Amino acid sequence: MKLLTENRIKIALTKGRVEKQVIPVLEEAGINCDQIRNKQRRLIFDSETQPFEFILAKGPDVTTFLERGAADIGIVGSDILTEHQSSQYELLDLDIGKCQFVLASTKDFDPNAAKRKIIGTKYPLITKRYFDRLGQDVEIIKIEGSVELAPLTGLADAIVDITETGTTIKENNLKIFDYLDKVSTRLVVNRMALKQHPKEIFDFVDRIKAVVEENKEERV
Amino acid sequence: MLKNNLLPLGTRDEFGSRASEKQHIISVIQEVFNNRGFSKISTPLLEKQAVFEPYKLGNYQMYRLLDQEGDTIVLRPDMTLPIARFLSATNISLPQKFSYVGDIFRISRRLSGSYNELTQAGIELVGYSSIKAEYECLVLINQLSSQLLDEPVEIELGIADFAKSVLSTLTSDDELQDEIADALYNKQVPKYEELIEQFKEKSEYKFLLNWPRLFGKPEVIFNQLEEYKLPDEVETRISELKNAVAWIKQTIPEQTVSIDLSSRAPQKYYTGLTFKGFSKAGAGYLFSGGRYDKLLANFQDVSESAVGMGIDIDLITDLVVGSMPKVNKKLIYFEDSQWEKAESELSKTPNATLSLSDNLKDAKEEAEKMNAELVDMTEGETID
Repeated sequence: MKLLTENRIKIALTKGRVEKQVIPVLEEAGINCDQIRNKQRRLIFDSETQPFEFILAKGPDVTTFLERGAADIGIVGSDILTEHQSSQYELLDLDIGKCQFVLASTKDFDPNAAKRKIIGTKYPLITKRYFDRLGQDVEIIKIEGSVELAPLTGLADAIVDITETGTTIKENNLKIFDYLDKVSTRLVVNRMALKQHPKEIFDFVDRIKAVVEENKEERV
Repeated sequence: MLKNNLLPLGTRDEFGSRASEKQHIISVIQEVFNNRGFSKISTPLLEKQAVFEPYKLGNYQMYRLLDQEGDTIVLRPDMTLPIARFLSATNISLPQKFSYVGDIFRISRRLSGSYNELTQAGIELVGYSSIKAEYECLVLINQLSSQLLDEPVEIELGIADFAKSVLSTLTSDDELQDEIADALYNKQVPKYEELIEQFKEKSEYKFLLNWPRLFGKPEVIFNQLEEYKLPDEVETRISELKNAVAWIKQTIPEQTVSIDLSSRAPQKYYTGLTFKGFSKAGAGYLFSGGRYDKLLANFQDVSESAVGMGIDIDLITDLVVGSMPKVNKKLIYFEDSQWEKAESELSKTPNATLSLSDNLKDAKEEAEKMNAELVDMTEGETID
């Protein structure tokens, strides 16, 4: 029998890399993810036995679902939360999907050259804030993917992008010139939902938190 | 060809059941305001930008334009500050209870699904320093929600400067206080926990760790607070909150109430008790208000005690329309000569309207198009 709809929690999970890394954590926390593992082309999974409904969406859309209250909980990278100025509650760092923002370019790039730099990025807001802190005004070009191409083709002087190990950057003959904010996957909760279903949401958060802390200890 | 029938981003037309339900909600609220002896105030949609200097917009922006003098004017994003401006510019004797209904404008993120024109009702009780002013707002939330909504509304109480009064006992660094308060209010728990790490040795640390979760049923939260040793000043604020909770339980016992010691006041000019109202289904707070004793000081030398509350008419309308049963519409067809009879039928039939078709065939088509049941008066049919 299906559990009551009134207290069901809708969880928006970022599909792709985050999804793959988060599922083992959810399973360790005792949440059955068989439906998502065998998803085929489906995007919405309403559990028969658990008070959760999962949806799969792209990262920026996870923030939109949360913002509009169409999802109660979101699991998404902190890069996207910052870039999209999420105003929802960020209750937990899942300590996975860890990477870092970097400023990178071809080896001959001079960060101190006397010119208004052109920066290619998927993250215009984060880029602007970084250069604001340095007291520099730069021209930002928004790029949707394969950001490494920008300095190689002469589209931009440098790029601001996230990297996990730096391999893609090195393989494209680019060099890291500065390290910016660190990034990891976060658990975010809609403000109103936390007031409406505190028990169910904290129960979910605490189960995940226990697993995250255990995994951290194991690594230490 | 340039299309000339497109709306600007973030706006909408309202028609049909939503429009009429919204109008109905507004009239219920206005009648309650009238019956409580509030005097109506309406201020212009346009104001000088300087009026909203104390207003924190959050993720919004204001619509700005220039007037003939070259001054920047804005479409009002809020109703309280224009009333404060009005009071400081006129010799209205205080105390006064004002009520208003009107539209406010806030530009939200592009293509985010939010509307930029919002309808708000509210009250401003100016010149009252007694807690009775807050209590009148609480009674109003209780009365309005039971008149307008099927589901119960929970009242959530808070203290505007609670965080500041706790944090100032821990550190004199204003910037650090603000940073911790921000992380607390936004429940950015990982960042918050990192920031409070430096107070690990302090006796308040246990309280700090639990702080983001200090909301919910008053008995539970007050019980938890017993475990911590808090500064006397903070204890005083908590006992004010306890009094308010006790007053609600005694005066409006059917009203559910919770408290939140970890949330931000709606605006930075709030100084005392804050209160909000929400239901299980709504996408946001339906009611929101509190005390702001220093608000008028933005416009004049003398401060004035004030308590105000805003009511989100659009959210209430969404809730009411969402739970409305489907109505069975009726279309009354009649001959010109039967007008009087048709009028009498109309007056006693709910959800009916007169058919303006010239013959039965057209009337049948009309009924089909509007998905209504046809009542043919020419055959002498009447509705039970």
